Amino acid sequence: MKNIMVAGVGGQGLVLATKIMAEAALKAGLDVKTNDVVGLSQRGGMVWGSARIGKEVHSPNIPVGEADILLGMEPLEALRWKGLLRKGAIVVINEKRTYPSSVLLEQAEYPEKEIGDLEQDYVVIRVDAVREAKEAGNIKAANTVVLGILARHMDIDREVWEEVLLENVPPKAMDANIKAFNIGYEYQ
Amino acid sequence: MKSVMTGNQAIARGFWEAGGRLAASYPGSPTVEMLESLKDYDEIYSEFSVNEKVALEVAMGASFYGARAMASMKHVGVNIAADPLMTFTQTKINGGFVLVSGDDPGMASSQNEQDNRMFGKFANMGILYPGNSQEAKDYMKIALEMSENFQMPMLLDITSRVCHSRSMVDTGTRVEKEISGFSPDREKYTMLPPHTFKPQHEMKERMEKLSETAYDIPINQLFEKEGTDTLIVTSGLMYYNLLELDPDVSIYKLGMVYPLSERRMRELADKYSKIIVLEEMMPFIENELTLLGIPCRGKDLFSFTGELHIEDIGKGLEKVGIIEGSEELEAPRVQTVPRPPMFCAGCPHRPVFDVLKKAKVRVIGDIGCYSMAALDQWDASDIMISMGASVGITKGMNKMMRRNGDQAPLVSVIGDGTFFHSGMTGFVNLLHQMDEDDNMTFIILENSTTAMTGGQHNASSGNFTQTDDMKVDVEAMLRAIGFTNVRKVDQFDYKAMKEAVKEETGRNGTSVIITTRPCALRFKIREKNFYVDPKVCIGCRTCVKTNCPPIRMKEYQGIDKLKSFIDPDMCVGCSVCAQVCPVGAIKRSQ
Repeated sequence: MKNIMVAGVGGQGLVLATKIMAEAALKAGLDVKTNDVVGLSQRGGMVWGSARIGKEVHSPNIPVGEADILLGMEPLEALRWKGLLRKGAIVVINEKRTYPSSVLLEQAEYPEKEIGDLEQDYVVIRVDAVREAKEAGNIKAANTVVLGILARHMDIDREVWEEVLLENVPPKAMDANIKAFNIGYEYQ
Repeated sequence: MKSVMTGNQAIARGFWEAGGRLAASYPGSPTVEMLESLKDYDEIYSEFSVNEKVALEVAMGASFYGARAMASMKHVGVNIAADPLMTFTQTKINGGFVLVSGDDPGMASSQNEQDNRMFGKFANMGILYPGNSQEAKDYMKIALEMSENFQMPMLLDITSRVCHSRSMVDTGTRVEKEISGFSPDREKYTMLPPHTFKPQHEMKERMEKLSETAYDIPINQLFEKEGTDTLIVTSGLMYYNLLELDPDVSIYKLGMVYPLSERRMRELADKYSKIIVLEEMMPFIENELTLLGIPCRGKDLFSFTGELHIEDIGKGLEKVGIIEGSEELEAPRVQTVPRPPMFCAGCPHRPVFDVLKKAKVRVIGDIGCYSMAALDQWDASDIMISMGASVGITKGMNKMMRRNGDQAPLVSVIGDGTFFHSGMTGFVNLLHQMDEDDNMTFIILENSTTAMTGGQHNASSGNFTQTDDMKVDVEAMLRAIGFTNVRKVDQFDYKAMKEAVKEETGRNGTSVIITTRPCALRFKIREKNFYVDPKVCIGCRTCVKTNCPPIRMKEYQGIDKLKSFIDPDMCVGCSVCAQVCPVGAIKRSQ
């Protein structure tokens, strides 16, 4: 069983990320359940999604302390879900910061130190997904870069991921998304 | 064929496979996607109606004509639809009828947590309660069958987690169902006394019959383990959460949570000395067992509010020794800087609330994205209850303020979707007993969409796009009703907005301001972005206080003081920050 948590900011397209994970699992002949947050929090609030992939999945909810991989589409949001992680879990952090209201209004400090400290307990992979996506030709493909990194750590064939990805992006964005996926997959 | 679907998509699929013909809804989390998915099936007439009551009525019309019909809505939507529902249920259902209610344990995006299983019982409906997407699809089909077999409207009650969770579904093909047509029968369909007397008995009888079938319907599943004296009665997602803990007990999983089979429950009570009910929100099944005189435990072990996660169930079961030594777990979310939702970059609500906040007026809010004005970062709205409620509340408070010698103006904000949903009637009511010392200003935020639920059309969308067929002219409508003091303002002209609020709140009477900018999210408006010239900026933070996602204070090289900064990737060029800047430091890029 692999438990994957995705955390980010409303509007980052997390629902598509969990959809792609679910469809990749289906194609690979595995069982899967996902969660998504939908509703008012889409307006720049904290959002999250999750996927559990394995032989047989009962609950879509990841038990506390059992998340294997956390995809932090925004650093503060990665930090927020630390409690869900197992020891030694992989944490992918997209470096682009989106500041919450209280930080914009100078009422709170962005927790840079705590985010940095994640490295003490987890395998942290830092990536400027927005810059990498721009390189691939489409700024909107930032999530695809991160999905590429995830794919590297899953027991699902690379071709399956690519196939599902192509089914889920508009035709004109296909090239950029495949490039972005490859950048992620090869990311060191 | 296998595919992965959300619970919402699976319900739509089930309705299609079962030969469903008409579906109506009003958008509300967590059920929005049901109707959006139904739009993909050509055989089904579907619509987002103007509110849940109308949606239910549209679906009722189809059912009366012998077509399979469904109405879907969020839990509080059923309150709006309750009037027709409570009488429709007295009729003998012709075409299968299913009401889908999306309940929201934990209130992820709702103003209350009402448990609509209570509504199902109140309205004499059988209630099915799915726990994953396969069940969502299957139960929709079973509910339509039951509805026709027992001539009863059925409630498919689903929780937000199951609506939005994806899981495997075996899909089938559509089985066409003939539309049988309408045979007039006043005794059956005209609910005037004395025609209403007999249905009271009929409702009781059909429920008793359904309760008999509950004894062995396949969706009520008994999973027995040897050597245990404990039975957990559960349903929906709670069953799957329970499986994660793999407790050494027998489990009775109810696909139909109402009515229960008295015979089955008594048999189980004879066999098991301990019965535990595991359910989210209210003690519904627990109460049903208690009414039968069957001792059980439930809400003394599990919370009556919020979602029950695997960990919560573990803690509850530990209290009765079923699970041992579950270690103290960390909270999944660590305490850190919160991230509440905020108005989007370019949101037309921003200048409105910036003006209202600075005007220091009392604001009564309503339901929509503009509810966010009540969040701490705005602190610009004081009351919010339910769809359309702002209008009546404002009138009532205004009357009491004046009688109490309080002459302060009162402002009320309502979106166009909410106005059409249930605000209009409140507006008509404003014209009754107008007093000279009334001072009410109603701001209708006409953004041409139902924004909060993802940008569904509403009755004024056609004023902005070709693709929407309804283009109600709100101003003409209000004038026709009898309002004389109605003005339109483009709120991106900040001065004009400020002036309008100042004038209307500064004089007695009842005024309406209609703001005209469309939703920035649905209509993806993007102009050249703005930037701050740090040499001109005085660091006053007036722009930062408009709480726009791209704007913050920043250290610039070679400048001592913090100056404001606009993230060019996020700015959509609405110009509000540039207009509030007192020194002209914010400029549009070329």
